[in-house]
Amino acid sequence: MTSPAAPGAPLLELDGVSRVYGEQVKVYALRDVSLRINAGDHMAIIGPSGSGKSTMLGLLGVLDKPTDGTVFVAGQDTGVLDDDARSRLRGDTIGFVFQQFHLIPHLTAFGNVDTALLYRGLTKAQRRERAMAALEEVGLGARADHRPVQMSGGEQQRVAIARAIVTGPLLVLADEPTGALDTRNAEMVMEIFAGLEIADRAVVLVTHDPRIAATTNRVVSMRDGEIVADVVQDPQPFGEGG
Amino acid sequence: MSRFRDLLSIAVGGIRARKVRTLLIMLGPVVGVAAMVGAVGLTESAKGDLKARLAELGTNLITAEAGASFGQQNPTLPKSAVSRVKAIESVERASAVAEVKGVVTLPSTAGASYYQTFPVPVLASDDKLPEVLEVPIRSGRWLAKSDGANKTRAVVLGGGLADEYGVLPGEIRTVQLNGIDYGVVGVLDRVPLEPSLDNAAFVTQWAAKHDFATDGAPTKMYVRARPGSTEATSKAIPTAVSLGGSGSVTTKIPSDALEASARADKTLQQTALFAGLLALAVGGLGIANVMSISVIQRSSEIGIRRALGSTRALIALQFLLEALFVGLLGGLVGAVVGVGIVYLVSAIAGWVVVIDYAKMPIWIGLAVGVAAVAGLYPSVKAARLEPLETLRLG
Repeated sequence: MTSPAAPGAPLLELDGVSRVYGEQVKVYALRDVSLRINAGDHMAIIGPSGSGKSTMLGLLGVLDKPTDGTVFVAGQDTGVLDDDARSRLRGDTIGFVFQQFHLIPHLTAFGNVDTALLYRGLTKAQRRERAMAALEEVGLGARADHRPVQMSGGEQQRVAIARAIVTGPLLVLADEPTGALDTRNAEMVMEIFAGLEIADRAVVLVTHDPRIAATTNRVVSMRDGEIVADVVQDPQPFGEGG
Repeated sequence: MSRFRDLLSIAVGGIRARKVRTLLIMLGPVVGVAAMVGAVGLTESAKGDLKARLAELGTNLITAEAGASFGQQNPTLPKSAVSRVKAIESVERASAVAEVKGVVTLPSTAGASYYQTFPVPVLASDDKLPEVLEVPIRSGRWLAKSDGANKTRAVVLGGGLADEYGVLPGEIRTVQLNGIDYGVVGVLDRVPLEPSLDNAAFVTQWAAKHDFATDGAPTKMYVRARPGSTEATSKAIPTAVSLGGSGSVTTKIPSDALEASARADKTLQQTALFAGLLALAVGGLGIANVMSISVIQRSSEIGIRRALGSTRALIALQFLLEALFVGLLGGLVGAVVGVGIVYLVSAIAGWVVVIDYAKMPIWIGLAVGVAAVAGLYPSVKAARLEPLETLRLG
């Protein structure tokens, strides 16, 4: 578990970050991007396909390394860390929500949330208490013993959100969280995101859906691997803005 | 410790979640270990009755006979041979018999012409022979010192001879030795280590001298050595008997032949063991194959675990532990199946079951070892997967 950050404190920072693919023919997925994500940010990163959103997500999630520039997570330069340290940092500070949920099919809802709490020196009882609390928070306490196959897409995504928040991460990183959901389930999922306490953490939603972007208080627009706008706004309920 | 417990629960969960797959890849270790346990068990059990008999008879009986130099035609041992041999520290007990030549033995006057052609060795014996041979008296009693002192014409029949003469337990019988009636006082049970005694008739030293005019010099001596010193005692006997004289003495350990035939057929055992090892190796290939495919199928799980903070080493250990469990479970099941086969076949064939349970950890360990080697490649492959490649972002 990470200590909560002070409101407005920088949680994650990209400083002059570029990500280049290919050696002979270089393709810039990100070009000299600088971005600071602060505690209290409920941010959307939007842009068309190929704008660099996914690359940005990989870098923000410490799943990828930049070709140039530096990524700081909680003040730590991730470039100097080895693979194990990066894994631990990722587990301690970042919670992921994916478009395809990526739940482990043979585990129950509880088992999936519990997976995020492994290798942290917690007792079984402590893990159970926290996992159940996270499931209650997303309204799935009663479905703890159900497997993914027994749940709807919306419910699966809510389990994924519970898994992302159960460790108390500094940053919740969601990749097209409603991309595989119908409108009703998308609304439910966005309500959960909107209800997350973000005073000492940040939520970053990577999307191309303007309705999702409208629910956030900051929108970063990308095009051709660069940030073209970074706007602070008043969040709107899902479906009413955008 | 808690990290290892977490890892263990993930590995066990992974195996339990794919029961059919686990059962299929377990088949290799099961067949391999069952073949090895079965191979050793069956080849040993096939000789199990001999082994059991050997254990019962003991392997410390030594026989000693006079070599040709003690006499030209009928070599005998010195009369003091028994007392000389008893001086050897490792000798527990000793007894001797003297063959009485030229005695015609008949069970009764009826059928004399038939039994005259039936050679029966007549042996003058002391009172210790059954004790040294460790053979019970089937009925009646053995020759006593008092028989000689009282000049009693008593005879004890060997088990085979008693059967031939149709002697019933407790029956009052006489047999004729060179026409002299001798009362049958007992029947000696069969002597597996010295079958020549089964058809003999035993009389006292007094009878041998008085009725058949022999000098009573022993022709064969039976010695029980202390367990573990049979070989050394056997070598010491000739020296003790001849005391540096010119007479030669040959010794034998009758259980050696029985021991040799009780030894399992090593070639057959090794062939079957090799087949078991081959099955285990093929099973290992199966584990490597199926687990490699499993890594591809479970790439999303690997990706999410990596995203949640699992290091490459933990991912590798997770898959390696799964392989180890498969090997362990397969080994245990294989051992049970192998033991079952040995019991089943032994029951059908009427063998005495011989299973060396002390070797079970070796067979099971082999299965675990093969599974560990087989699991290495998929484990490394799983650890090398990049989460970004498996999670399909955007």
